[in-house]
Amino acid sequence: MILVNELYKFAHVSDCHIGAQKYPELKKIELDVFNQCLDRCIAENVDFIIIAGDLFHSNLPNMASVKEAVEKMRKVKENGIPIYVNYGSHDYSPNETSIIDLLNSAGLITKIVQGRVDNGKLNLKFFKDPKTGAKICGISARKMGLEENYFKVLDRESLEYEDGFKIFVFHSAISEFKPEFLADMDSIPISLFPKGFDYYAGGHIHKRSINEYMGYGKIVYPGSLFGSYSKDFEINANGEKRGFYIVDFDIEIRNIGFIETPACEYNYIKYDASGKNSIQVQSELLERLKSENVTDKIVLLKIKGELSGGKTSDIDSKLIRNLLTKNGAIHVSINRHGLISKEHKKIQIMENNIPKIENKLFEENIGKIKVTNKELKSEKGVKFANELLNVLRDQQKPNEKKGDYERRIISNAVDTLKINDESENK
Amino acid sequence: MDDKFQTIGQIIGGGSSRILIREKDGSKLELGGLLVIDDADDQTLILQINDLEYRSLIPQSMHELASGMNLEGLGTNLEFMEPQLRNYIVSRSKAILHLVDGIPRIPKTLPTYFNSVRHITEKDLKFLTKPKNPLYLGDVRSGSKILNLPIYIDASEAIPHHILIPATTGRGKSNLVKVMLWSLLDLDNFGILVLDPHDEYYGRNELCLKDHPNNKNLVYYSPDAPAGTNTLVINIKSILPDHLKEIINFSSAQNDAIYRYYNTFGNEWIIKIVEGVEIQDISFKTLQVLKRKFDNILGVYFDELGQFQSRNNIFSDTAGKTTIKDVINSLEDGKIVVIDTSRLLGDAEMLVGSIITETLFNRYQRYKLEGSLNEKPKIGVVIEEAPRVLGKEVIEAQGHNIYSTIAREGRKFNIGLIAITQLVSLIPRTILANINTKIILGNEMAQERAEIIGSASQDLSDDNRTIASLDKGEAIVSSIFTKFAVPIQIPLFEEYCSEHIKESEHQNSRSKREDKNIAFI
Repeated sequence: MILVNELYKFAHVSDCHIGAQKYPELKKIELDVFNQCLDRCIAENVDFIIIAGDLFHSNLPNMASVKEAVEKMRKVKENGIPIYVNYGSHDYSPNETSIIDLLNSAGLITKIVQGRVDNGKLNLKFFKDPKTGAKICGISARKMGLEENYFKVLDRESLEYEDGFKIFVFHSAISEFKPEFLADMDSIPISLFPKGFDYYAGGHIHKRSINEYMGYGKIVYPGSLFGSYSKDFEINANGEKRGFYIVDFDIEIRNIGFIETPACEYNYIKYDASGKNSIQVQSELLERLKSENVTDKIVLLKIKGELSGGKTSDIDSKLIRNLLTKNGAIHVSINRHGLISKEHKKIQIMENNIPKIENKLFEENIGKIKVTNKELKSEKGVKFANELLNVLRDQQKPNEKKGDYERRIISNAVDTLKINDESENK
Repeated sequence: MDDKFQTIGQIIGGGSSRILIREKDGSKLELGGLLVIDDADDQTLILQINDLEYRSLIPQSMHELASGMNLEGLGTNLEFMEPQLRNYIVSRSKAILHLVDGIPRIPKTLPTYFNSVRHITEKDLKFLTKPKNPLYLGDVRSGSKILNLPIYIDASEAIPHHILIPATTGRGKSNLVKVMLWSLLDLDNFGILVLDPHDEYYGRNELCLKDHPNNKNLVYYSPDAPAGTNTLVINIKSILPDHLKEIINFSSAQNDAIYRYYNTFGNEWIIKIVEGVEIQDISFKTLQVLKRKFDNILGVYFDELGQFQSRNNIFSDTAGKTTIKDVINSLEDGKIVVIDTSRLLGDAEMLVGSIITETLFNRYQRYKLEGSLNEKPKIGVVIEEAPRVLGKEVIEAQGHNIYSTIAREGRKFNIGLIAITQLVSLIPRTILANINTKIILGNEMAQERAEIIGSASQDLSDDNRTIASLDKGEAIVSSIFTKFAVPIQIPLFEEYCSEHIKESEHQNSRSKREDKNIAFI
């Protein structure tokens, strides 16, 4: 008689970034793909879902988006499917007051990152899925890749020693598997990961990939469900399929299947303005765009080159946007980073990722700040500045009183700076 | 009188090329020893001993007779009257430096005849100051006596002007490179690429660079990476035909085929060759030869399941897409990047180094063009067995490669070589002439010594015997950045770094305490 093990399955999702989009049309798509994903998980009757970080775009996101997402997650729970999560770099909170913690407390999702640091060693605890027996543990992200400190002190040996079907959840780029366009992104070397897990459920990289390396099981990134940066949309427009993975397993991985969550079509238009003056560019562009099929599509317009005359501001984005919207475009994004005028050359930051721009500015200017504390200088100083900026930029929530908002921001900032809040005692 | 200032000899003749000094009995002058003559008016002459010989006032026949009587037992009590007066040692020394009011100059005059000579002291060499970017090499040595005077060269000048370390096996090349790299880890503005074919610099299982208190400046790549270090995995798509052409000899048919595959398949060209995908006009035989060559050199092939495989796990078709860029970024951040190439065959090792170095060189060329080169750290590339890439035969057969290009032009772009070799004679003179610092260790091969002496920055024509007699760890630094060819004693790396570690122990324990306080969320 041949014994056949029962096959289980789990869904591996990451980087949903709910709340990232500020335009209503994109917000709708963002939630639509999230709903598609969870509906499919219910339809496939998965045993559990792993969301490997950045379920939300910030630790306290727009509540309207949260409301809809929570409704869908409640439906998943009602179907008996647990959702396991870790913090991503966006929804991380240094004092565990993120929306993730809120939903965890409400029992809608389960934070599976558990452990403690004893004598300089990080001992992670496995969370055992009650139905499948899969053992799950992992490390959350922190802002600016600071989770590397956790990896450095991780007690890998005890994790490797554990038997059974094991999943390691993380939200970091791995140096050896970074896509080329993310070469400058902070990353963790694979050697800091515990070996011998069956599945490494990754997040943070917005491009899907299944990787293998000696001594490690499948190292998988599902990529973003939709995208949160303009670069993501460029990748989408170039044909990248967005979605998540459903993994069949018993005592080991049997199959990893990609499930697409189609969002919408794209039209990626590139226009080279080199050698033309601003009036020529404006009229040529409008003429060309008239003939483009943009109906029900997100339009990405990239204008680059050096104008022979006129100013870059002569090219009227509003006019272009109106034309495309009138012709049926869902949304229009115009990228003019590569456009310069001969008369008005200026320093351009060749980035379209806001955190990267901020980081670059901090890096360039940290040397000018005169401080004696080493922690506030050079690389460490830049990391601190980034963390602090992320805390300070958090906006006042609807119905949040000004005083509460101030106290929350101060408290988060104090936590980030790791100083005692003397103002509390005054 | 202080022993240091005791007279140990006296000038008894010679000329500007060699000064003869009679040794005071018992002074034990040594080959390579540094002597000082205090001349009038605050002028001091520093000499170095090139040769030693016996002299006697008694005719040679008398010596031979006395020796015969002693040996044959005919006159056991025979001895010379006041032998220290009649039999003595004379050193042939060369004036290497003339100090006028403490300022070093090339000697142009002879010291006063019959002047007395003394041992050198640290004070005599006080002009050897610590430069702004100190690269420690060792301590000044006089013969076998070590002075308490560390020798540094300015890394900022010496590295872009290239450094050569010639020596035969067992003379302490690796030890010297370890000492240099350890010293460079203290500096934040130098990127050093170390291609390490013996996996000896990181210190996987022993005390080495990883134990440096400032090891945040160290980046290590290995196919078998210890925790926290980087896995050496290079995407096969990063390799361009030009990279291979510099390292491997291809026939013209193979060469044509390589470019045809590259033009047809872009960066997947190696994968397609290894997969055996045929294209028009390329013979099956050529394809098979290339497949075999890539398997032999890179260890890449397709298995029976049609999967791309790498025998050494270093070349991958999926991973390692940013490895080259990561390495270069680290160098540009002023870090020392050690690449363990011990599992790679010679050609593959050179290929990895060549891809990195060429990309780096192109990037630095661009910086120069943009005017931002001076903001970037200066880069050194450590290559072992340098004639593999800088050898006359290699350059004649395959033309100039990135290493010879750096040797000739790197200085303009702030990139230099730290070349290690046993056989200097294999490197063309034109390249040797561009290497402006040579740290010469012991070498028993006359031909090699002749090449080293011929290309040194100072006149070492009288130092042939001195170089031959250099013991393990002893060296001579000949550089356009030193006032004279400085004899040094390189410390034993383990002792040197242990001392350094001890000094920073307190700080280490504090940072460990900080680590323990890490809060986990």
